[in-house]
Amino acid sequence: MLAYTFRRLLTIIPTLLIASILIFSFMHLMPGDPAAVMLGTNATPEQVEKLRVQLGLDRPIYVQFATWLQEAFRGDLGDSIFFQSPVLSVIQNRAETSIFVATFSMLIILILGIPIGVISAVKYNTLLDQLTMGFAMLAASIPTFWLGLNLMILFSVNLDWLPSSGFPSVLESGNLNNLKYLILPCITLAAPNSALIIRLTRSSMLDVMKEEYVKTARAKGLKESIVILKHIFRNAIISIVSALGFTFIALLSGTVVTETVFSLPGVGRLVVQSVLRRDYPVIQGIIFVVVILYVFINLLTDLSYAFLDPRISYE
Amino acid sequence: MRLSKSFFKKLFRRKITIIGAVILVIIISMALLSPLIAPYDPMKINPIDRLQKPNSTHWFGTDNFGRDIFSRIIYGARITVLSGFGVVIFSIVFGVILGSLSGYFDTLGMFIMRIIDVVMAFPPIMLALALVAILGQGLINVIVAVGAVYLTRTARITYGLTLKIRKDAFVEAAVAEGAGNGRVLFLHIIPNLISPIIVQATFTFAFALLQMAALDFLGVGIPPQIPSWGNMLSSSQDYITRAPWLLLFPGIFIVITVLSFNLFGDALRDRLDPKFKDEL
Amino acid sequence: MRKNVTLILLLAFLLIGSSMVMAQEKGGTLRFAMIDTPPSLDQQVITSDLATIIAQHIFEGLYTFNSEYAPVPMLASGSEVSDDGKLVTINLREGVTFHNGNEMTSEDVVASLERWGEFGVRGPVLFEHIDKVEANGKYSVNLYFSEAFSPWKSMLAFINGGPVILPKEIMENANEQPISPQEYIGTGPYQFNEWNTGRYISLTRYEDYAMREEESDGFAGQRISYLDELRFIPVPETGTRVNGVKAGDYDYAQRMQGDMYESLKEDERVEVLVNQGAQFGELFFNQKEGLMTNTKLRQAVLAALDMEPVLQAAHGHPDLWDQNGSIMPEGTIWYSEAGIEKYSQGDPELARKLAEEAGYNNERIRFMTTTSYQTMYDSCVVIAQQLSEAGFNIDLQIYDWATVATRRNDPAVWDFFYTWHGFVPDPILYTFLSPTYPGWWDTPEKRNLVGQFTKTMDQEKRTEIWSQLQEQIYNYVPIAKTGDTYTYDITSPSVKGFGQTSLIWPKFWNVWIE
Repeated sequence: MLAYTFRRLLTIIPTLLIASILIFSFMHLMPGDPAAVMLGTNATPEQVEKLRVQLGLDRPIYVQFATWLQEAFRGDLGDSIFFQSPVLSVIQNRAETSIFVATFSMLIILILGIPIGVISAVKYNTLLDQLTMGFAMLAASIPTFWLGLNLMILFSVNLDWLPSSGFPSVLESGNLNNLKYLILPCITLAAPNSALIIRLTRSSMLDVMKEEYVKTARAKGLKESIVILKHIFRNAIISIVSALGFTFIALLSGTVVTETVFSLPGVGRLVVQSVLRRDYPVIQGIIFVVVILYVFINLLTDLSYAFLDPRISYE
Repeated sequence: MRLSKSFFKKLFRRKITIIGAVILVIIISMALLSPLIAPYDPMKINPIDRLQKPNSTHWFGTDNFGRDIFSRIIYGARITVLSGFGVVIFSIVFGVILGSLSGYFDTLGMFIMRIIDVVMAFPPIMLALALVAILGQGLINVIVAVGAVYLTRTARITYGLTLKIRKDAFVEAAVAEGAGNGRVLFLHIIPNLISPIIVQATFTFAFALLQMAALDFLGVGIPPQIPSWGNMLSSSQDYITRAPWLLLFPGIFIVITVLSFNLFGDALRDRLDPKFKDEL
Repeated sequence: MRKNVTLILLLAFLLIGSSMVMAQEKGGTLRFAMIDTPPSLDQQVITSDLATIIAQHIFEGLYTFNSEYAPVPMLASGSEVSDDGKLVTINLREGVTFHNGNEMTSEDVVASLERWGEFGVRGPVLFEHIDKVEANGKYSVNLYFSEAFSPWKSMLAFINGGPVILPKEIMENANEQPISPQEYIGTGPYQFNEWNTGRYISLTRYEDYAMREEESDGFAGQRISYLDELRFIPVPETGTRVNGVKAGDYDYAQRMQGDMYESLKEDERVEVLVNQGAQFGELFFNQKEGLMTNTKLRQAVLAALDMEPVLQAAHGHPDLWDQNGSIMPEGTIWYSEAGIEKYSQGDPELARKLAEEAGYNNERIRFMTTTSYQTMYDSCVVIAQQLSEAGFNIDLQIYDWATVATRRNDPAVWDFFYTWHGFVPDPILYTFLSPTYPGWWDTPEKRNLVGQFTKTMDQEKRTEIWSQLQEQIYNYVPIAKTGDTYTYDITSPSVKGFGQTSLIWPKFWNVWIE
């Protein structure tokens, strides 16, 4: 197991290398100039050129890449052009919001999605099942930003129950009340992804139900609840866990839109702003961090199979 | 795929699938017949009529330029369907080529799949954002950017299927008879991929519509003067308190279109050869 | 110190007497919700408006603007100009102290001007014309110009990216990098207190402030600090700023969105303040390459445009825009009606006729704009529509701002583009007067007029020449102005002393909380 983990960790290096080459070429194929953006609409070409030199943007691309890569592997992702401060601290400032949003959404997805999927499978082909599936299908067909804006009209504008935008930090103020700013965003983000988990849970449950050992367990006269939980769910959970890596990426992708809708000070919105500002180091930094997270989550998922299913072992 | 009578009979066994199919037919006719259906020029600016509520002359109201929303929705169907097909064709053509080649030639496969895996680790919207920023805003460019995201998924699926089919008896027989690589690939492998790929295409269409609407919303999608449904929503967000109808109608049309494609895709998948089910 | 406090109290007392109902109270903290955190408060090297809003309370310049945006003395007491305009002597007020307690003298002024002239954002524009700055006794400074350069006073008064006065010890060691917060030592009514990164910037009253005696007029005159503390808090989300003021968490919130104007105006929990610093939209025509080098064709485009719908579609409520053809807004000393009969004609027939005379034959015209700013894009949609209706073949090309800002430097790829211009106190600062700015307006007539404009010292004559330049703009059409637009802020009703509008940078002296 340890040896396997170590081998997997080694494969991360080429992945990150490929990723950073891709990211860097993307960035430098973008037209436009961060210096021009920073100086606003009234800057003269001379002022822009002066700032470009100051920011080191006039160096050849390969030089910039080599410098960046060297420092990235030492844990330094460079400085933001726009904020004039280290990328890591820029990301850190925005991380609280995104971590909260992603975690709460994930909790909603797991707490709602899995049980509903299980019930739907158990009640296969009943009206309840069909209704659930219908709703799940609908939820997966709604654009997240549209759902968010509608929730905002209903709960913030018309009913005035919840704030419509922004998020004052909880960690800094210690005020847990601020979490109410995240209720609508989390529902928005969780909805389509819960739908996918419901469908996945249901179909993997149904697959397992067809297996011989389930029939045997039932024939042995075991209680139905035990059959469902111990035999069916236990086995179905592996394919659910394997989907969590993708769900995570889907959530991160979703934060970009959700944070924009609700004007949350998070990393997702920072991505959009940074693309528009051509703040290359920040975009590079964020994608780099996301890829690392993704790789680690996939590793954790694979390792967790061994705990979930005794038949799987890594040597 | 066996397009027999019984196939359709089974496909439309569920009423909901029929509803989905009917909606799709409506949307596609809206797209084809836009100039005949739309009561107004969708681009015609008329500042005096700006932000009118839905009424008998403007069924869905007007926007901040006084343009008729109903007419824009009708023309929007055209852009939306067109760009959806664009993404599907782009992602399927290149996805299948990359995926089947990688599945067939091992070394090449290692190399290509490695890159595709890395690209799949990028959140789709960030990838599309970056690609649009590179290519510039334009209908074709947005299709390419979103197509590139789904290309990776199609390639992955095709890769898995190709690996599987390669080991099938009939393929091995063809190889044993001395058939060349091209012949095996195009005559034996790709034809067997068609039905799972059609299913994948349906879902890609649905996801692509959502993804493009999101890009439009962020202001980096289809150029804003083109009345796609996503663009209509994007400009509506400044008026959500004053003119909520701007938000309502384009959204509903996106939802029902995506929903119908999803329903249709589900029905197709249920009818599919069980051998491929795991991959989708 | 005693003397000053008594003076303040006396003045306050007089004001109470004159207004009767309004009772100004000393005390309280004003919590200002701002859109972002400024990069630094060093006025000389930073052009962020946000930085100026805060820093104008700490730092002062030799001159400032009155409500008509004419430059008037601030730290200066007056000036003499030699007949040839080459020697300007600025006399300083005596007894002005820095926040470190030292008196301001000519040495501090020379060091500040020199640092700004070399490293400041707007400094080199002025210092191109200055050979030398020299102390002339303790309370007087000489500026030696290489030739007469009339905008000097406006440029000394414009403190955004401008020449604020700091102690010599700080200025002599400063370069193009912003100075650090410990060095924020000025002469203003408030002094720097604390910069709590990411949370707030705090200023407190400077008790020894040497106040001018004239009545307050725009930025000029008395600056009475009723408030004990000014606290600037970054709240980037508009919704949070609005809700915060309504709930009483903030007293002032900056930069609302157009759509909310009506509902905020009706809301009793807030007061709406329209910002006086007008921005204006302008089309820049490519005069170097392509179709638009044809003057007749530019005139045709101008003739086709009706600015009212252009402004309305983008800015909504009529309080937030002015259909104004004078390049400088109404109420400034530079307002002029020269040539404005050609503004906003909305005459497609005339446009067709002019285009025909220009030999236009339905060639594609590339109109470049951006979606990065929604109002810019909205204006352009209407402009494009009007031009199409007048028979022009418009190709609307849309990029994000970063791309527009780069592409516009290449004369081969566009025919005209749209952008904004912020408020400037002297027309010489308009970007379109620079022959290198994209658009490349550089005719002999213009060069001649700009030359006269910069050499003439007499304000009335300068206004006259500016009128002629404006006439040129409408005849030769290097740019087309769409109209003035305004941003707006909100305050809590308990904050008093603003009147109906705020200045380009809202200021909090002469402001109190009830």
